[in-house]
Amino acid sequence: METTRRGFLYTSGAVVGVATLPAWVLEREAAEAATLDHDAVAAAALAKIKTLGGGYADVRINRYRYETLGSREAQIRQVERRQTFGMGVRVLVEGAWGFAASREVTPRAAERLADAAFEIAKANAAHQRRKIELVPTSKVAAKWATPCRRDPFEVPLADKVQFLLGANAVAMKVPGVGYVESGLMFVAEEKFFVSSEGARIEQRIVRGSPWLLATAVDRASGDFQARQSLPGPRGVGWECVEDHDWNAEAEQAGRDAVEKLKAKAVEPGTYDLVLDPSHLWLTIHESVGHPTELDRALGWEADYAGTSFLKTSDVGKLRYGSPIVNFVADRTQAGGLATVGYDDDGVPAQRWHLVKDGVFVDWQTTRETAGLIGRKTSYGCTHADSWGSVAFPRMPNVSLEPSPKPVTADELIADIKRGILILGNGSSSIDQQRYNFQFGGQVFWEIKDGKKAGLLKDVAYQSRSTDFWGRCDGLGGAATYELGGSMSDGKGQPGQVNAVSHGCPTARFREITVINTGRGARS
Amino acid sequence: MMSETDGAVLCRKLLAHVRADDAYVTVQGAEAGHLRFAANSFTFSGRREDVRVSVTVWSGKKKGEAVGNELDDAALEALVREAQAIAAVSPEETEYVPTLGPQEYRPSARWAEGTAALDAAARARVVSDMIGTCEKDKVVGAGLHRSLAVVNAWAGKNGGAGTERWTQASLSMTARTPEGDGSGYFLRDHEDATKIDAARIARESVARCLRSRGGTPVEPGLYTVLLEPQAVADLLTLMRFAFDARRADEGRSAFSAPGSKTRVGERIFDERVQMRTDPWHPDLPGSVSSDGGLPARALSIVKDGVPTNLVYSRFWAREKQKEPTGGFVNFIVESAARPVSVEEMVKDTKRGLLVTRFWYLRQVDPRTLLYTGLTRDGLWLIENGAVTRPVSNMRFNQSLMRMLAPGNVDAIGAAERTCAGESQGGSAGLYPALKIKEFEFTSASEAV
Repeated sequence: METTRRGFLYTSGAVVGVATLPAWVLEREAAEAATLDHDAVAAAALAKIKTLGGGYADVRINRYRYETLGSREAQIRQVERRQTFGMGVRVLVEGAWGFAASREVTPRAAERLADAAFEIAKANAAHQRRKIELVPTSKVAAKWATPCRRDPFEVPLADKVQFLLGANAVAMKVPGVGYVESGLMFVAEEKFFVSSEGARIEQRIVRGSPWLLATAVDRASGDFQARQSLPGPRGVGWECVEDHDWNAEAEQAGRDAVEKLKAKAVEPGTYDLVLDPSHLWLTIHESVGHPTELDRALGWEADYAGTSFLKTSDVGKLRYGSPIVNFVADRTQAGGLATVGYDDDGVPAQRWHLVKDGVFVDWQTTRETAGLIGRKTSYGCTHADSWGSVAFPRMPNVSLEPSPKPVTADELIADIKRGILILGNGSSSIDQQRYNFQFGGQVFWEIKDGKKAGLLKDVAYQSRSTDFWGRCDGLGGAATYELGGSMSDGKGQPGQVNAVSHGCPTARFREITVINTGRGARS
Repeated sequence: MMSETDGAVLCRKLLAHVRADDAYVTVQGAEAGHLRFAANSFTFSGRREDVRVSVTVWSGKKKGEAVGNELDDAALEALVREAQAIAAVSPEETEYVPTLGPQEYRPSARWAEGTAALDAAARARVVSDMIGTCEKDKVVGAGLHRSLAVVNAWAGKNGGAGTERWTQASLSMTARTPEGDGSGYFLRDHEDATKIDAARIARESVARCLRSRGGTPVEPGLYTVLLEPQAVADLLTLMRFAFDARRADEGRSAFSAPGSKTRVGERIFDERVQMRTDPWHPDLPGSVSSDGGLPARALSIVKDGVPTNLVYSRFWAREKQKEPTGGFVNFIVESAARPVSVEEMVKDTKRGLLVTRFWYLRQVDPRTLLYTGLTRDGLWLIENGAVTRPVSNMRFNQSLMRMLAPGNVDAIGAAERTCAGESQGGSAGLYPALKIKEFEFTSASEAV
């Protein structure tokens, strides 16, 4: 894996003048890359742990790079480059974990961290009730990198500024739009993993997130409405910008925001829903992704994220949805935010069914959780959001498979007498066992007699996870399939974030409860 | 652990490298430790030491920001160069406000050696004893003990500079019955880890768990609710973000009024409702600095039910010719009248619900601060002045503006220090119990 990108000084474009911009503290980084021997540092930690009498141990030496741009209307408000570099040492002693991490990355620091991690594990072992055990995994020596058509960190800043201000200008031209905010965020994780079992893995993981928000304000009435862009972040390079017509997106966002000011407020009641992938990904995330995390079912998240309505005895028995519903967990999916070569236990990325023909068939597992339900191997769902964070179970990409037939969104709509088409994700909330949820959106089209009949506003739907998926009676074909996702799914204590995608086709759900959320919900 | 002097020296080193016209630098050194437990056993545990160095520079009005965590001279210089290089190719920032000159900061007592010196063995003993309580009472415990020691230093090219150090510890526990038909939660935080009463946290969460078992549904709808301080913290923590003056002036806030006005000066809340921030509150010391090194100040936000101030950034204050207020460094919600105890509130309730905690709160409508979320870890029916039985959890959709409106607040308790469950001890405030006449539940949840 490359740890430096020396030598790509470039000249910025015409938009913001001409200047050269060195990339990523180049001199400093190049010097460090030349002198730091990752293997020697990791070996020092592992040798120390062996001397102390520790069991399984691993070392992660990671650099994380972030580039964030923020704008509003005709101005750039933020251009920030951030990076954080450090190492974490994890050790299992007498069935208890210890972990210590520092920004200092030297053989001496590695020994100190090994000592500290061992001391924590030893202190915990004295009180440990359940001895922690790991299922085996293959000894891997490998390199992996996110396929990128164009590395976003090598795109001139001027291009990024031009992209944001250009999109803002398009949205601001829409009569009635008062404010536009937009931004770009790129992340590159450069990860080095070595374990006492002989694994040695280098990875470079890249993600990108463009976004835009247009707001229309009616000063006379005091009303305002906003519309966020629909495409989600993805595990790709600059192509997250290039592969979408963002000017068209900005114009449509502006039009929708203005239109929403005069849109008809929804009449509460029961509706058939057609959910666009830009919306449905979040419903999948909350109502399928989280409940199928095995650590939740085991009670490990009881104090924060919550448990699950699923029990270990439900595998192969519980009906999750209608027979057309199939959910796949996949850490190999192209463009997925949780797509990697290997997880933070060193387990290879995999693809497997969570729900097959509507029946719950499997869990998301790690080396630590798999053995607790009698499994011999892990599905590779361990992740830490930093060199300084403890690795623990996190969600892979979880996606709804499309219909094998070429069904279009219009065909799904055509069969509805009274319904709503929802695009984009809005407010979302679900209970701690993942039964009861409520979702809003960005754009709501009324469907009357099989046709779109104007925008609605103040729409949210409420349902129960398995009832909802049981009411799914139509799926779009592969042509309607898109990836949505989140760069910052929160879980764990102390809280960590995880980037995760959810692909799906346009889908139809019958007789779902819709409420009106306008003006305090009771007006 | 980095000292305040170390932080100040690093800031000076950074500024010495700056060639740009203006600059603001910060250094934060932190040591954090935690022990997590679940299913009556330790799950994850660790410690982390890190530094965050940020450099913001302006060449003319062109701004660049760079952030890193490497401290040798070459790295510091390179970070400054990075920020300057970004500024060189950035457009002018029309909202640029020059960095502050020298400032006076009145210290706030936020540091406790008991937290900074907490070791793994002591933490393990505390949590093991809590698990022991769970085992004795035949419940299943999960929770988090965490501690943090931080040094902050900041400096600007125009002479403003300061340092502070602070600690924070928090401890939470959720107790569940093995059958999964009851759940209770309790969370407390303090600067000083040794002042957190772990036995009380275990006791309170177990008691709530046992009292909540076997809840049965009631119909969703409008209810009188008694919100314990934890539930109030969960809800009102979110309200802090709504007091931004700029968004109100721009017509896109719950505090915007028709005709390009704001609602400052209107009695829109119950006349007993007071909201303020105070860095020197003895029970809740806050940061001495906010918004680019602006000294934090005690600020009344809502007085006697009337919004008295909105939060002005330095830029927006300049635009509107107001004094910059800085942001919230803590949040204090209290009653102007004699506080009413939860027991008195119960006694005075014909029919209502007692809520211990809310979960997964998300804004649905910014115009009215309409939030949705669910009750969690204990919901009980009150009938004729007594708590009569546990009930199943429910989802609400409730405007906070309407919840606190004149005529809808029945009683306000004494403010207690706690923090929102979703922020895991990271947003400490003083929150009272509240009795609200009408609160809207919209659907039932089977979750326990």
